[in-house]
Amino acid sequence: AAFGLYFPRKEYSENVYIDQAGGTPLLRIHALRDSHGEVAHFHLCQNLIISRARSHENHWFQIREKTGLLYLSKSLDREDFNMLSVGSWMPLSKVMLYVFLSSHPFQEKECDSATRTTVFLSLINATAPACSSLTARQLCFTEMDLSFHIKENKPAGTFHQLQLPSVHHLCQNLSISYKLLAAEGMPFRYNENTTGVSVTQRLDREERERYELIAKCTVREGFREMQVEVPFLVNVLDEDDSPPFLPNGTDTADAVVEFNRKEGTVLATLTVYDADTTPIYPLESSRKKYTGTIITDDPWISETFRVEHIFDEIHFSPNGSQVRGTQHEYKLVLNKSISVTEHRSFQLDVLVNDTEFHGPERSVMLHFNVSILPVSIQFPNVTYQFTVNRNAERFAQIGKICIENCMKFRGVNITYKLLSPNASCYPVSILQGREDKWGSLYVNDSSVLHRPECKEIQYTIQATDKQSRKHAKTLLTVVLEGTLLKKEEDCPDSCAVSKHHAECEECGGLGVLTGRCQWRQGSGKGITTNYSTCTPSIKTCPDGTCDVIESKDPAVCPQDCTSGNIIGGHGKGIGNLGIKSGHGICYCFPRQNCYCEKDDIKEQLCDDVCKTVI
Amino acid sequence: DCVRANELCAAEPSCSSRYRTLRQCLAGRDRNTMLANKECQAALEVLQESPLYDCRCKRGMKKELQCLQIYWSIHLGLTEGEEFYEASPYEPVTSRLSDIFRLASIFSGMDPATNSKSNHCLDAAKACNLNDNCKRLRSGYISTCSKVSATEHCSRRKCHKALRQFFDRVPSEYTYRLLFCSCKDQACAERRRQTIVPSCSYEDKEKPNCLDLRNTCRTDHLCRSRLADFHTNCQASFQSLTSCPGDNYQACLGSYAGLIGFDMTPNYADASTTSITISPWCSCKGSGNMEEECEKFLRDFTENPCL
Repeated sequence: AAFGLYFPRKEYSENVYIDQAGGTPLLRIHALRDSHGEVAHFHLCQNLIISRARSHENHWFQIREKTGLLYLSKSLDREDFNMLSVGSWMPLSKVMLYVFLSSHPFQEKECDSATRTTVFLSLINATAPACSSLTARQLCFTEMDLSFHIKENKPAGTFHQLQLPSVHHLCQNLSISYKLLAAEGMPFRYNENTTGVSVTQRLDREERERYELIAKCTVREGFREMQVEVPFLVNVLDEDDSPPFLPNGTDTADAVVEFNRKEGTVLATLTVYDADTTPIYPLESSRKKYTGTIITDDPWISETFRVEHIFDEIHFSPNGSQVRGTQHEYKLVLNKSISVTEHRSFQLDVLVNDTEFHGPERSVMLHFNVSILPVSIQFPNVTYQFTVNRNAERFAQIGKICIENCMKFRGVNITYKLLSPNASCYPVSILQGREDKWGSLYVNDSSVLHRPECKEIQYTIQATDKQSRKHAKTLLTVVLEGTLLKKEEDCPDSCAVSKHHAECEECGGLGVLTGRCQWRQGSGKGITTNYSTCTPSIKTCPDGTCDVIESKDPAVCPQDCTSGNIIGGHGKGIGNLGIKSGHGICYCFPRQNCYCEKDDIKEQLCDDVCKTVI
Repeated sequence: DCVRANELCAAEPSCSSRYRTLRQCLAGRDRNTMLANKECQAALEVLQESPLYDCRCKRGMKKELQCLQIYWSIHLGLTEGEEFYEASPYEPVTSRLSDIFRLASIFSGMDPATNSKSNHCLDAAKACNLNDNCKRLRSGYISTCSKVSATEHCSRRKCHKALRQFFDRVPSEYTYRLLFCSCKDQACAERRRQTIVPSCSYEDKEKPNCLDLRNTCRTDHLCRSRLADFHTNCQASFQSLTSCPGDNYQACLGSYAGLIGFDMTPNYADASTTSITISPWCSCKGSGNMEEECEKFLRDFTENPCL
């Protein structure tokens, strides 16, 4: 698309003083061309914007339509000045003017062309200063940075004049000369006669996108000589002039669907490079500019897969200097979960299109070799056998049931079920969490464990895939062992209540495997994850997660599951559940508070001899 | 203020009808074509003479949001396209005398005798804890911002709200001391960086583009106002000693603190004691042709001599 003429800078600035004479030149504005033969016409919007809130008709400033020289057509007296300063709460009065650009002479005096630049005029509440009172910096440059942007692939042209027209007009007895340093070998030229800086050739952003030069100014007044140097920067603006290309020529990737069949799974990623930049703001328009479409007639394929496009800025170094480019990533993603029975393989093509590039190679075809393998729902060959101590309490965790590769599965919902045994002995149950891939076997009825006639119980376990209704069965044997211990009197039903090592191991509680709670001796250093506590089984509690069995009853493992207050030094666990770290010994009263404290009474502070001394 | 100006306008039939017209002009999706409409232009011209035109709002005033809504309902019509810097809708901070006292309270911690060992950021926290109001609101935002739930990291929205309450309702002698304490060692600087609980209020999974973030901020009246206020009060100026507009350093600090709790929340980039870098959570990666503009926007935070 043709841009037409454009301004090499967005903003210009200059000072205006009271009673400066009409005809004083203020500043010079340049335009650059899009194509040869274009002629720039400048035009001023007849509105001065004083602040956002006010504007005023422009009686003082005019621009030469052909040269872009902005000048005072009429002097600004104090009255004008006061009028223009009203309503401006800024410490400094500034007025804003818009300058428009067109390749044709302006017909109407309108203020709505797309190509415009802004001129800020600072109104100085004083008459123009004497040239001798100005510093070299003020004589040579304005306060604004010398920073320009030039579009790539455009014809050469002059884009700036170093000399300040206002100073030149005011201080004619001073000799002010300029030089452009560090310009050797760069596509810029300084013309000493006009003090104009021009770009001498078409620029290519993909080769170099930033030029840093130095503008040097020398002021001579009689024998006095002053010098100032300021940076002179040129940024090259990008247009879409590069086609997409494949790094290392890779246009094919394998996409295998096996155990992970969940919606949203990324199966494979292919990368496309482009030397052009792609702005991430606004994001949506860039996505539209660079498209990736699945080429297929098969409705099943278009329903089951989608392509996700992300892009990122990367750097190329074509000749030493760094240039920004874009890396586009196209990810083949499952659009829905795939059934375990599905079995097919095919090639899926994705067409990537750089829609704004005007050339034959604007698109690239990506190929994904998709294989969807079926997975079987089956148990490992062995049958399960667990031994359970007769003294185990309700919610004691016995073991895990898992079909083959169950830990790798994602997006497959397996439910485990115990088919009831013919016998009357039925002490165990199975539970599974929502995201859990396995079933947890636990004691559901401890009274059955006490019955002598129950010794070895046979169960059948069934695992079923919800979606395909496929199922597998295996045998489970639960062997009861051990002799019944006498139950201690006055024991709480939760191990977590015990605060001392001795009382902990004397008692049992919900979830214990052998009839006795277990003591975990912590490191005792500050607030630590390894705090001392009494638990039904060190393996499962506290382990930082409140699992399905623990969550059945708050007395099993409050250390992992409590949502109540914790008193003393502590850190909470994930989702504000449980005690992740604690100070000293942590103990809990289920459904009430937990306490973490240092046990100081362990050693007697003072013996009898000591007491008498005190 | 604009709430008062709105009441004055409502009492006057010609003003109130023009104001209604203008609001309708701005409400449509295609604002620019609507504004070119004769009726809208006329409404704008008439309103130029009304008290609504020069009205401002105060930081932390009652009905601050309502006031800002009135302000932007008029001023949105005047910005032709997007401006780089927008003027602040807040009244300028002029109470210079009280500033001196406030600044004195900040620097009073810098007594050279106690300099070598003391941690000003720790002292600031102690001072806050000795004031009931400061302590209450500080522990309020810290507990909100540190709360972790199972699904999400923390509730950023609630954390931002608690931070805004802290900076709006606690006197600046406490808040600035916490935020701008001077540091000699890394532990102190880290404490200073952690003041606003950056893991919740500041950091995010990805760094958005700064221009994108600015755009998000501008869709919210409060955020837009605070950002404009920051630009008005902290924009580096060559005409003053401190590089701050009108040498009003206090106003800049206030505008900076005013941004905390919004999308544009700024913070210290690291716990360095020598070079202090401040930035919102964004970068200029992926700016395309707008890189210059983006860098300019970011530099007002990262390389601002006034700040």
